[in-house]
Amino acid sequence: MANIFPRYTNWLPIKILVCLTVVVASVVSGMAYYFTPKYTRVGYQPTQPVAFDHSLHVNQLGMDCRYCHTGVEKSSHSNVPSTQTCMNCHTQIKSLSPKLAAVRESWKTGNPVPWVRIHKAPDYVYFNHAVHVNRGVSCVACHGKVNHMEVVYHAKPHSMGWCLECHRAPENYLRPVDQVTNLDWIPPATTTQRELGEKFVKEWNVKPPVSCSGCHR
Amino acid sequence: MKRILQHPTAPTTGRTYWRSLGEYARTPDFEEWLHREFPKGAAEWENDPLSRRTFLRLMGASLALAGLSLSGCRRPEAHLVPFTQSPEWVVSGKKMSFATAQPRRRGSIPLLATTFDGRPVKMEGNPLHPISQGATDNHAQASILDLYDPARRRFLTHANKKATAEDLTAEVARIRAEASSSSGASLAILAEETLSPSRERLRNELLRQFPQATWAVYDPLTSGRDLAASSLAFGPNTDFRPQLAVASTILSLDCDFLGSDEGDIPDTRGFASGRRTRKPDDKMNRLYVAEPRFSLTGTMADHRLRLRASATGAFLLELARQIRSLRSTPDLNTLLQQAPDLSLPKGIDPAWIRECAADLVAHGQNSLILVGRRQPVAIQALGLALNSALGAIGTTLLVQPQLSAPSTNLASLADKVRSGTIRTLVLLGGDPVYNAPADLDWASLQSSVPNTIHLSPFFNATSARANWFIPGTHYLESWGDTLAADGSYLSIQPTIQPLWAGQSQLEFLTSLTAQSKPIGPSIIRDTFAARTNLTGEKLEQAWQDFVREGFVSSITITSPRSANASAIATLLSSIEVAPADDIHSLEAVFTHSGALDDGRYANNGWMQEWPDPMTKLTWDNAILISKETANSLGLKNELSKGTLIADVVQATLAGRSLEAPILIAPGHVNFAVSLPVGYGQENLGPVAKGSGFDAYHLRTSATDYLAQGLQLKPTGRTRELAITQEHQVMEGRDLVREASLAEYQAKPDWVKKVGMDGHIPPNQSFYKNPKLTGDHQWAMVIDLATCTGCNACVTACTAENNIPIVGKDQVIKGREMHWIRVDRYYTGEPDEPESVSQPVACMQCENAPCETVCPVNATVHNDEGLNVMAYNRCIGTRYCANNCPYKVRRFNFFDYNQRSLDKLYLGPLAPKGTEETIKLQKNPNVTVRMRGVMEKCTFCVQRIEEAKIGARVRARDSADLGIPSGTLQTACQQACPADAIVFGDLKNEKDEVGKLRSLPQNYSLLDYLNVGPRLTYLGRVRNPNPAMPGAKMHYIPSHGHTNSHEQENGHPVEPSGQSGAKAGHQ
Repeated sequence: MANIFPRYTNWLPIKILVCLTVVVASVVSGMAYYFTPKYTRVGYQPTQPVAFDHSLHVNQLGMDCRYCHTGVEKSSHSNVPSTQTCMNCHTQIKSLSPKLAAVRESWKTGNPVPWVRIHKAPDYVYFNHAVHVNRGVSCVACHGKVNHMEVVYHAKPHSMGWCLECHRAPENYLRPVDQVTNLDWIPPATTTQRELGEKFVKEWNVKPPVSCSGCHR
Repeated sequence: MKRILQHPTAPTTGRTYWRSLGEYARTPDFEEWLHREFPKGAAEWENDPLSRRTFLRLMGASLALAGLSLSGCRRPEAHLVPFTQSPEWVVSGKKMSFATAQPRRRGSIPLLATTFDGRPVKMEGNPLHPISQGATDNHAQASILDLYDPARRRFLTHANKKATAEDLTAEVARIRAEASSSSGASLAILAEETLSPSRERLRNELLRQFPQATWAVYDPLTSGRDLAASSLAFGPNTDFRPQLAVASTILSLDCDFLGSDEGDIPDTRGFASGRRTRKPDDKMNRLYVAEPRFSLTGTMADHRLRLRASATGAFLLELARQIRSLRSTPDLNTLLQQAPDLSLPKGIDPAWIRECAADLVAHGQNSLILVGRRQPVAIQALGLALNSALGAIGTTLLVQPQLSAPSTNLASLADKVRSGTIRTLVLLGGDPVYNAPADLDWASLQSSVPNTIHLSPFFNATSARANWFIPGTHYLESWGDTLAADGSYLSIQPTIQPLWAGQSQLEFLTSLTAQSKPIGPSIIRDTFAARTNLTGEKLEQAWQDFVREGFVSSITITSPRSANASAIATLLSSIEVAPADDIHSLEAVFTHSGALDDGRYANNGWMQEWPDPMTKLTWDNAILISKETANSLGLKNELSKGTLIADVVQATLAGRSLEAPILIAPGHVNFAVSLPVGYGQENLGPVAKGSGFDAYHLRTSATDYLAQGLQLKPTGRTRELAITQEHQVMEGRDLVREASLAEYQAKPDWVKKVGMDGHIPPNQSFYKNPKLTGDHQWAMVIDLATCTGCNACVTACTAENNIPIVGKDQVIKGREMHWIRVDRYYTGEPDEPESVSQPVACMQCENAPCETVCPVNATVHNDEGLNVMAYNRCIGTRYCANNCPYKVRRFNFFDYNQRSLDKLYLGPLAPKGTEETIKLQKNPNVTVRMRGVMEKCTFCVQRIEEAKIGARVRARDSADLGIPSGTLQTACQQACPADAIVFGDLKNEKDEVGKLRSLPQNYSLLDYLNVGPRLTYLGRVRNPNPAMPGAKMHYIPSHGHTNSHEQENGHPVEPSGQSGAKAGHQ
């Protein structure tokens, strides 16, 4: 009987197997990396040039977020405080603390403190802080409980799917506008977040954009 | 079933529109442009031994290798760098606007500079000032790129070696010592015109200290003859300013008041306001134009006459006689008593002048005659006298004091230099070595002065021949002041520290007059105090207002009601008859360049790539010539593979000659050529290099505007020109629609009866579009009746949307990136055409054909009716551009933002990166697109989002999210001096756009495609005078077209024969 299959087909199963293994392995390793919090930098906690403790300043001293992050209600960008803001208090308090040496150095020389960036939206994403904090989206929704962090870390994934979770169902996240910077706020016992959120969505005419142009220009 | 589109063929009756001579002749090459998006070869892999397949194989391998090493998976550590001390008012990430002004030679432009984090990124007109009212022109928009030009010289030099500030201080002291010994006779200043009162104050101080010093002012494009004519007519130190808003009949003689010559913003606005028709009974002005070259003003004309510039005098004298025959006044009789009797040039119909005169007289004080400001004094003065005879002075023509003080002219300064008295020559800006009249031989004159100092932002030809070069500041870097055309006092405030160690002209003059070193605005404040006569608290308040608002209004002036006829009458005998038509002795007109002005924007990439509104030429200038004259000289332009191959000629004028390409310009007068100046500056910078020829080389003191005896000789060589007029061309299917005023009044909805619009088959789309449910529905309407085609929208869009320049080579391939283009159509015979301009941007189709073909959903519709682009998603298949019927999508064939123009073709490993200063100009709210990404107009979605965010921030916990009407403007709309572009929200009843869309004269391009454009047009209305000889009164095609499918009663039909073949290409 004549050979139906030419000779090279002898190797074909092995070739297919090898190819399949490579493809499956790369898919698995790709997903293991790109689809997990590691890729979205959750948990990223770099060492800052100054060991600034948010939990001390917010929880113990009761400072509001906006004392330092002054632009958050006005601008797209929530600014990191200038050295001057630190020195408002630290010329008087702990003025000789070795932990603050870098701040004093900056104040003296005029060179800024190079804070290490933790949260970064990609260049093609035009996130706007002002529109969120003025419409009842709390800092905690994106940054986690910074008021309990001694050293700030990346708490939420900040992926597009994660953004859309809220943009598609804002009622799960909205809170009274005056409670936006109160990171420990919970809805009153008489109501639930969902009830309250739905009320706000209706009363404030909340329609978060879900089309590309909302964030990409 | 595939959707069948019945493309109407070109109308068999009525008018045909054409964009180029190639289209007019329907050359095969043009047909190829029409059917392809790019010329053959431009969208393919080319010029490389590496085949496309090999390249892909290599790239695949290198990607796999890169993947193995897993490099680049972690984002690098980045830093947030706050201020050490917070500056007042600065909110990081928020824009701020500062009132300032761009100095110009004849009235500066009041502006607002938009800054982000301390860097100016965009110029807007000052909405409070009557001259601008928020509008700008091309040069105001493009000036910001000059600020960041990497080619600016960054240091002080002496004898071509770097020098220090101390060296300069010592030099200034030496000059002062030298000058005081001769009471200033050894010192001369040659300044460019900036209209700065502070500079005038310092000039007076300098002349007080050194009475014998010479202060000369030179500008290559002002003749001073207009001021001389005004002084003659209205008394010394007067000037005149047209008021087009109140003019109902306008005659423009060789005067391009709508073009990019000075004064274009208020003139365009005024003209447009008299041109706008919303209801059939609206009044409309009428424009007569007689001019040598087809200008923007000519495109707006209701009656246009080709007239040689040298025949303007004869024309005007004949007009004067006609006016006198209709309305004889003593002044006119005095005027014409001794006037020469010149014969009209051949081919000029006296009836044209007679009827024009009748129309002017009929409108009396609402008539206006404008004569080019570089025409001889006698002709301009006669023009003023005729305005006076019509009673126009004080209504359509205002007389006001001259803005600049009289100065020595360049010729007298040259005499002084020749006599050897000048030891030190200080040049404040300008470039006389390049642009002074050729007979002065300024280069060697300047070299003969022992000591020359040039202060300029750019190291130009004059700097190269100066002993000292001082880097000058840009107007956005320094304090200053200037005057607007209406005489109002404008402030210039710095929006950024000088990028390089520069100093302003005012700072240098302060040190030259040995006054105390200025701190900040003190020079301007002193001038302001002197002008306003205020002191103390009141001065402080007025000063703050001045800087914040950017101007102090001019004082109203009582103007004379008539011109001095007897003074003008004596001059009229000097008006000469136009030389006879002679093919071997042509007339040459030295025109300004719409793109480069006098050459000062030669290193500005935006202006080099800006298509000239009429010729659509980029990166070059050319000798403009009529078709008939070119034919008789045996010269031609050929289109080959999308490139215009122009014959190069040797042009000889009075013993001087140069070589230049010719460009056949429809509507140009015969036996004359136009030579645009400003090009051919080889050493100004990398952008200017290799663009055009230097027409100044032929220009002498006596022939600074007009010369006779030019000879053109073919050299047998050719030059490739980058002309965009045939790019993105759409098949001629009634794209522009025109009617005469009478037709419009008779049939206000005429646009709906043109083309196929009357019988569009119902939409058969199988694609279900998402519902448009947004709170806003954005739309734009462009009024073709008022659009002059000035291209200011193109430059504004370039600045706002980070649009890269691509270079001449790429433009030739049809790869220019402008998101909005202005299509300029001609209609009629090539030598006697009419013209109409049509800006075309993305139509934001409701059934967008581009969206359905995108494989990755990078272009989708949002709920507000915008066709949006997610650049980060685009993989560059270019299917969308293929499917766009309007050809408005632009593709990044190269990394235009990462590579300089000469390095585009280098491989992926070649060094990348752009100059830091260029990055500073980019709008931070718009993505800078990379190679392989499709881009297009999105109605300035960044501005829309900013406005919506602003409304939400204001609303906080309330439900009012409305955007106040008029607060949101697109960049093109904001820049438009004619207010021809209207953008807004269809759901907001207060927005004008909804009302305009419901007007009967509203139509959309290619309506039969059923794509539902959100950008629509108002048909153009012209106002021809029925009494004029050869008046075209019928603009609407009398019978539409006669296609077979017309009988089908609007049902979609199967393709058959010719129409089926046509359906393939859109």
